[in-house]
Amino acid sequence: MRKANLGVAIFLFLIGAIVMFDAVRLGWRWDPGFGPGAGYLPFYLALGILIGTSVIIIKQVRQLVKEGAGDKPLIEEGGLKPILWVLVPSAVMVVLVSVVGLHFAAFLFLLFYMRVVGKIGWLECILVSVLIPVAMYITFDRLFLIPLPDGMIGPYLKLPF
Amino acid sequence: MESNFHNLVMGISVSMQPYHFLMAMVGLVLGVIVGVLPGLGGANGVAILIPLTVAMEPISGIILLASIYWGALYGGSITSILFNIPGEPWSVATTFDGYPLAKKGKAGKALVLSFFSHFVGAVLGVIMLSFFAPIIAEFALKFGPAEIFSVMVLTFSAFVGLGGKDPVKTLISIFFGFILAAVGMDIVTGQLRMTFGSINLMGGFNFIVAVIGLFGLGEIFLTVEEGLKLESTAGGRVTFKDMAWGIKEIAHEWKSLLLGAVIGCWMGLKPGGATPASFMAYGFAKQGHKKSAEFGNGASAGIIAPEAAAHGAGTSAALPMVTLGIPGSPTMAVIMGGLMIFGLLPGPMLFKEHANFVWGFIGSCWIGNILGLFVVLAFAPLFAAILKIRFAIIMPIIVYVCAIGAYAVNNRMIDVYYMIIFGVLGYLFKKLDYPLAPMVLALVLGDMAESALRQALLISSGNPIVLFRPPIALPIMIVAIIIFFWPTISGIIRKRRTSVGPG
Repeated sequence: MRKANLGVAIFLFLIGAIVMFDAVRLGWRWDPGFGPGAGYLPFYLALGILIGTSVIIIKQVRQLVKEGAGDKPLIEEGGLKPILWVLVPSAVMVVLVSVVGLHFAAFLFLLFYMRVVGKIGWLECILVSVLIPVAMYITFDRLFLIPLPDGMIGPYLKLPF
Repeated sequence: MESNFHNLVMGISVSMQPYHFLMAMVGLVLGVIVGVLPGLGGANGVAILIPLTVAMEPISGIILLASIYWGALYGGSITSILFNIPGEPWSVATTFDGYPLAKKGKAGKALVLSFFSHFVGAVLGVIMLSFFAPIIAEFALKFGPAEIFSVMVLTFSAFVGLGGKDPVKTLISIFFGFILAAVGMDIVTGQLRMTFGSINLMGGFNFIVAVIGLFGLGEIFLTVEEGLKLESTAGGRVTFKDMAWGIKEIAHEWKSLLLGAVIGCWMGLKPGGATPASFMAYGFAKQGHKKSAEFGNGASAGIIAPEAAAHGAGTSAALPMVTLGIPGSPTMAVIMGGLMIFGLLPGPMLFKEHANFVWGFIGSCWIGNILGLFVVLAFAPLFAAILKIRFAIIMPIIVYVCAIGAYAVNNRMIDVYYMIIFGVLGYLFKKLDYPLAPMVLALVLGDMAESALRQALLISSGNPIVLFRPPIALPIMIVAIIIFFWPTISGIIRKRRTSVGPG
């Protein structure tokens, strides 16, 4: 947990540094003719983040040196696999959207997750992964007229009504 | 006073119109489903549906969104009591006594207790909303930018001082939220901030996308990590006998009920929301109770107090949102985001310019919460049956719906990528104990806070003392500073007391 704590703090510290850099470029000082510049508030926000994360980093490094990596791991034992089983397919689905459209990508995602991870019977898998995207398509694209991304083959997959 | 009562009656009649009534019903049913499912909460349930409401009249839209919240507040306890898994963060405290009671074969009774307590908390919250909202709004009309900024400082210092998390991490969370809000075009100068030449970053970060990622995906990662096992003890049927028993029991435990409801309403006013309110109420009820040993083994008061507090906080969170433009809970923040999409800026002017809308909303709070009680009492077994569906089916559907919601906010694909990143971030923050609620609130309020600050500084030509100007900003700032340092101050007081006291 300590290493993760340190890692996240360093990540936020870097973000703070980038923001501060940009705030200085934008003008963080009081401009007598104009008032507070665009970087005025971001400068102080970045300062706050830098100070806050420094406190955490120093504390964590001290403890790390004194007591080692510490008590509990960030992810519980055996917890990483199920997380990745959700994260990776979701990410793949999102990437696929621009190719095959959101609903078709979701069909593939649902089918994959239920069959491979959930080990659910084929019939149930196919029923759910077909009916749910169709229902969503009807609700969003047709009833509420919110066009969801089609992708490249989307135009050929439209329902005939 | 008279005219406010008149307005309230008008508002209730607006929300009783068939179409609005239907919207409330749809919202409640969706809300209970959202509440029952672990990993899908009120905040992201509302966030996902915001795109659907854009085409509606503002009043219908807000009734739908708010009803989802009321439904989720009711629904979270069903999962807690029947499955020992909180359906919502605010129903964690309910598992302590609700599940043991259900295990004894009294599931119906536990549900009745929970629903009735919710109802009482809700009614107290709505009464407060109806009577204090016009008064506070009238007062807030006098606010200038310095005063608005001071109220925001008070809001965020409440997170630091009373949030109960590491103050440094809370501060980082707040600053990070404000920074995310600042990305994109600066509203005053028109300069591009922190975009580094990227067209994608020019649009900035939408807080709805952040909510869906942080609370939606992040929660799912946490759920699958723990390996969700749903084992029900009972079907959740509620009989009339249970109801009669429940009313008697609640009347008997009226002290815990009142305690819970009052704590809830107080916690809803200052942003903290339903979750800390429920824990606080549980603790206080246990401390002051005659049979405190029974807590944890199915004590009625252990269900009543946190449930009343959760719903009291949920409803009273609408009060600062409507009057000051500062939402009292993360879900209220999302609802406020919905209002802003309708082009309505919450705050004191809303009462003046859109009185019909505000009173319609307050009226719908009455109708929605009353209707909600009947919905959950009648259909609790149906909602519980949703949880019989395997999680391997529900989970990918939730991810899919989240993706739709994130995309539909702005019709941008990049938002869906952001959603996944926010999901990972939400998981890490949750694990490392960075509070998410202040970050979301900072993201929502970012632009408003910044323009208030800059206007105030312009008025005083750069002198920050304007932020402490009497008569309104000064006391608010003093209270904010006291609350900010409250953990230290209360520590000193306690030390004094023990050293002066007996011994």
